[in-house]
Amino acid sequence: MPLHSLRCDGFNRREFLQLGCVGSLGLSLAGLLRLQAQSASPAALPRGRARSCILVWLDGGPSHIDTFDPKPDAPVEVRSPFQSIPTSIAGVHLCEHLPRTAKQMRHVALIRSLTHELGNHDTGTRFLLTGHRPTPALDHPSLGSLVAWNGRASGNVLPPYIAIPGDGVGGQSSAARAGFLPGAYNAFNAGRDPGRVPDLQLPEGISFSRSDRRREMLARLDRFAGLPETDPSVRNRDAFYDQAYRLIASSEARDAFSLDTEPARTREAYGAGRLGTGCLLARRLVEAGSRFVTVVDHGWDTHQQIARELPDSRFAGSGKLPSLDRAYSALLTDLHERGLLESTLVVLMGEFGRTPKINAIGGRDHWPRAGFVALAGGGVQGGRVIGATNSFGESPIDRPVSPQDLAFTLLTLLGVNPATEISTPTGRPVRILSEGAFIREVV
Amino acid sequence: MSPAIQQPPRDELRGSPFCFPPPVFSHPPRDVRKGWSQCGNGFGLAELVPPVELVPPVELVPPAWFARIFASVLLLLGTTGSSASAADAPLDFNVHILPVLTKAGCNAGACHGAATGQGGFKLSLLGYAPDLDHASITRELGARRIDLAHPADSLLLRKATRQIDHEGDRRFRSDSAEALLLREWISRGAPRGRADLVVTGLVVHPRILGPVASKEPQAITVIAQLSDGSTTVATDLALYTSNDDSIADVDRRGRVRLHGPGATAIMIRFGGAVGSVRVGYPFPGKPDETAFARFKPRNFIDEALLRRLREMNVPPSAGASATEFLRRVHLDLTGRLPSPEAIAAFASHGDQPDRRDAVIDRLLASPEFTDLWTQRLADLLLLSGKRGSEKASRTYHQWLHAQVATNAPWNRIARELLTAEGPVDEVGPASFALLANDPRDFAEQVGSIFLAARIGCARCHAHPADRWTRTDYHQFAAFFARIRRDGGRIDTAPRGEVEDPHTGRPLAPRPLGERIALGPAADRRQALAEWVVSADNPLFGRAFVNRVWKHLMGRGLVEPVDDLRPTNPATHPELLDALAHDFASNGFDLRRLVGSIVRSAAYQRSARPLPGNATDDRLYSHALLKLPDGRVLLDMIAQATGVPEEFPDQPGVERAVQLIGAQSPSMALDILGRCARETSCETSTVAGGGLAQALHLVNGATINRRLGQGHLARWLLENPSNDELITRLYLHSLSRPPQPEELIEWRTRLTSGDARSAVAEDLLWALLNSREFTFNH
Repeated sequence: MPLHSLRCDGFNRREFLQLGCVGSLGLSLAGLLRLQAQSASPAALPRGRARSCILVWLDGGPSHIDTFDPKPDAPVEVRSPFQSIPTSIAGVHLCEHLPRTAKQMRHVALIRSLTHELGNHDTGTRFLLTGHRPTPALDHPSLGSLVAWNGRASGNVLPPYIAIPGDGVGGQSSAARAGFLPGAYNAFNAGRDPGRVPDLQLPEGISFSRSDRRREMLARLDRFAGLPETDPSVRNRDAFYDQAYRLIASSEARDAFSLDTEPARTREAYGAGRLGTGCLLARRLVEAGSRFVTVVDHGWDTHQQIARELPDSRFAGSGKLPSLDRAYSALLTDLHERGLLESTLVVLMGEFGRTPKINAIGGRDHWPRAGFVALAGGGVQGGRVIGATNSFGESPIDRPVSPQDLAFTLLTLLGVNPATEISTPTGRPVRILSEGAFIREVV
Repeated sequence: MSPAIQQPPRDELRGSPFCFPPPVFSHPPRDVRKGWSQCGNGFGLAELVPPVELVPPVELVPPAWFARIFASVLLLLGTTGSSASAADAPLDFNVHILPVLTKAGCNAGACHGAATGQGGFKLSLLGYAPDLDHASITRELGARRIDLAHPADSLLLRKATRQIDHEGDRRFRSDSAEALLLREWISRGAPRGRADLVVTGLVVHPRILGPVASKEPQAITVIAQLSDGSTTVATDLALYTSNDDSIADVDRRGRVRLHGPGATAIMIRFGGAVGSVRVGYPFPGKPDETAFARFKPRNFIDEALLRRLREMNVPPSAGASATEFLRRVHLDLTGRLPSPEAIAAFASHGDQPDRRDAVIDRLLASPEFTDLWTQRLADLLLLSGKRGSEKASRTYHQWLHAQVATNAPWNRIARELLTAEGPVDEVGPASFALLANDPRDFAEQVGSIFLAARIGCARCHAHPADRWTRTDYHQFAAFFARIRRDGGRIDTAPRGEVEDPHTGRPLAPRPLGERIALGPAADRRQALAEWVVSADNPLFGRAFVNRVWKHLMGRGLVEPVDDLRPTNPATHPELLDALAHDFASNGFDLRRLVGSIVRSAAYQRSARPLPGNATDDRLYSHALLKLPDGRVLLDMIAQATGVPEEFPDQPGVERAVQLIGAQSPSMALDILGRCARETSCETSTVAGGGLAQALHLVNGATINRRLGQGHLARWLLENPSNDELITRLYLHSLSRPPQPEELIEWRTRLTSGDARSAVAEDLLWALLNSREFTFNH
């Protein structure tokens, strides 16, 4: 419910809309144009340079203090159990278990002042991935769905929005879904094993011409049946079949899903685990024309034993941090070397930070008031830190960034105008984002 | 089933709100069906209103009550700040001051309600802890936040009105009712007032809003009922939200503007209590009388739905054909396609309502009904082999299956689940206690499964959109503090408490929404089970009937189905109540409930929309298309092709709906989708579907490996005529004979040059991939 929609820094959305309340929808045309002009005048905003986005989603909420926002001078109950190390940005330190990432920081604009108030996984995730506080009235589309929607006329064969792997936020959680947009803008779910995506090849013994015949018979049957064409679930299903056939028809597209041609050296650089394999697959998919690829890394909900779980877990070096360090730095290096970094926005984040104070079982709990986002590529100026938290990492003391600001910035960089109006299935016009502003420091 | 209601003389009441017969103010009503009134807005929109929620007629109002309202209004208007009547009105922090702060957003999560406060000033989130808030305002910071000598100079007021710098900007003007009220309160010494005084309910008037000729917004009046039996006007201090801005919006003072056709609700919150006003804006145009006349109500469900369709001027579609009905009712009740024999038998006797009823009765009594509904209950209960041993989950599943087979009442099933003890390998329902170890986690599961109440928010603070406070939550969790789960046994532990998170003191168990806590002697789980399943519990029956309704009708009367709360009203509140009442007063009988829904004309309507109802997805003007669950879809494909799915290591399992747990390896089910039974599958969609499912159905083994085996391979050997072959394929997949033009189409292809078997296989492939097959329509 919009109870939370009151913000400390000004009007809530309803009041904002009422400022121009003349027309029947609560907003006059003139008022609307003014809003659009304010938020999207061509001179004021950078032109989106990023063609694609790879979102590495640290599911569960990564501890900012133990990763990208260390507080070495804080008292022991706050301070990370890990040391901090210098990075390629002078004066900026990261956790000691991110040494490769530290070297890549020249590509990274690190936001340390992400802040919101939704402290459970579902609502926090939805907030960050849609740019809207979740409300029962309207299911807002995720950023990936919006990017896919925006590029709908591009005619690319690869699914524009892909989630790796198939479980969790990237694939099925409503946070990453198409919301009120047609189901075709949901993420394509790459299955459990990023190294082997199923059912892309025609069945054995079925030629392309025979497959075409089947498809034509199917179209005829659907016409005979006469189910309501306008039904959203019928349209969803049809969109998926169309997508499936485009994919089946293109050998380039199918090859993009196969890691077989990648040299062993590259595979090793990314790391053999799911995250490494997922990031490598993401690079291939982006290279082949996909617009938004989410790589989900589970297990960041570290309520206990951070000192052991993050670096070591089952055995030394098997924790979340070493595999993230390897995969993330390899992804940035690889994209850079291939000249893809300029056109690929890489976003690293989770739904919130974690409590500054270490709890009784050596973990940290949910803390939406402070968190980090690492942006790289896609026109982002690297080598800088934006915003800061206070000495205990509790809340931003400089340049707070809201999920709406972040969504506004990501969409703008990806060439989606956040002021665009989309019509919901019931004909209600809705602006992509109703709040938020471009974070100018990133470009 | 609906209570007999005298029809009001409509003409005299046109255009003004009315209730007829005049409402009786009874509190609390024992039989909620007695004394109901029909209230409306004078434009054909009406609903039944139980007596307790009505504004008492003026002559019944005690004089003190009236004086009190009067005083509050004067005070709020700021006209007579010093008049005798206003000065007499007591100001209680809980019900007069805290709501001002909440309404102004001071204690919102982003502001001072944050866990660490804001700018050194901390309030409890949305005012869940009034004692702490009163202390923060009146005592912290050397009591500098208030200035008793010069109330207007109080920091609290100067910040909120932004006379001095305030990061949160101006919350209200210094001459506003809010500021005047705060100033008056401070001038009286900022009293705490009665700490035990709470808001127990809201009386909202009018209950329904419709379009009016005037351009003026329509005003809502809110009266709060307090725990001391008194009331206070809360119109200006309540929080208002519209569930759909495009139909109606509401301003801070409760004034509503309607924008266009549709139905929605205005939600009202004050002091932890909630209320709602329904908004109905009929679609314009002359009613399609032919369509309305065609809809013959068969039971109370139809009457309730028809009433709403009439109100909203949305015409109902025609009835479903015999074959459409047969396929739909088979899939919904048993997860099976009707056999060609069943289709032929039905056709030979003629399509009459009593013939349809006979089919329904047969399906209700079939073992396949038990299989499918056991699966549905197992999904709800999160029955999974991951908890406990393999043996335990098998025992649990067998028990559940037996309950459904013997048509055990849902209240008895619930009671056994909540109280069972013994070794989990032997006592099926005992495994329910393995859902969670922590009493709080377990309470959340119980709340969700039996009451469709999402109480999780209240673990840390008052639920922002529901009634539950933090104390409600922890006292509810205390019911589950004494469960021992050692050595594969569930027992009652002699000790175990849930502590108050503030004081650390053990809390007495208390049911959600009840005032009286449990005495120390009683068995906690027994008492809880009694309360959950009692006829007085409004949530237990509604939660269940709403879920069953969704399975059959494609959409819950309340969505999401696991989120029943006053701020999330049903599309047809009176129908939900009537269904729950019918369910409870007839022995919580699942088969009876399913039977009465599928016997309705509404269930048996065509899925084909009319021009006037194509966009409707919640008034049930036409049947909604349903996507069968992945497990049912897999069974349908196996049945249509005559090639069963193999379930290795699952003895006795022939169909996917019979699977016990959710972990048995099956790539087909991973892609087509199944409930993993780890968390509720009701809102987060189950794994599967989408592009991956389309690719799998086109290219994958589930369909392709079956084409050359089973029925079709056998038929090809028999060498039937083309028409016969096509008819068999249609009957087995689409559950209907082909139309003449379809026969012509496929006949030509089967006799063309290509190998006959290949064309037949391709036709079968196309049938199984078709819209008509994959949807339950």
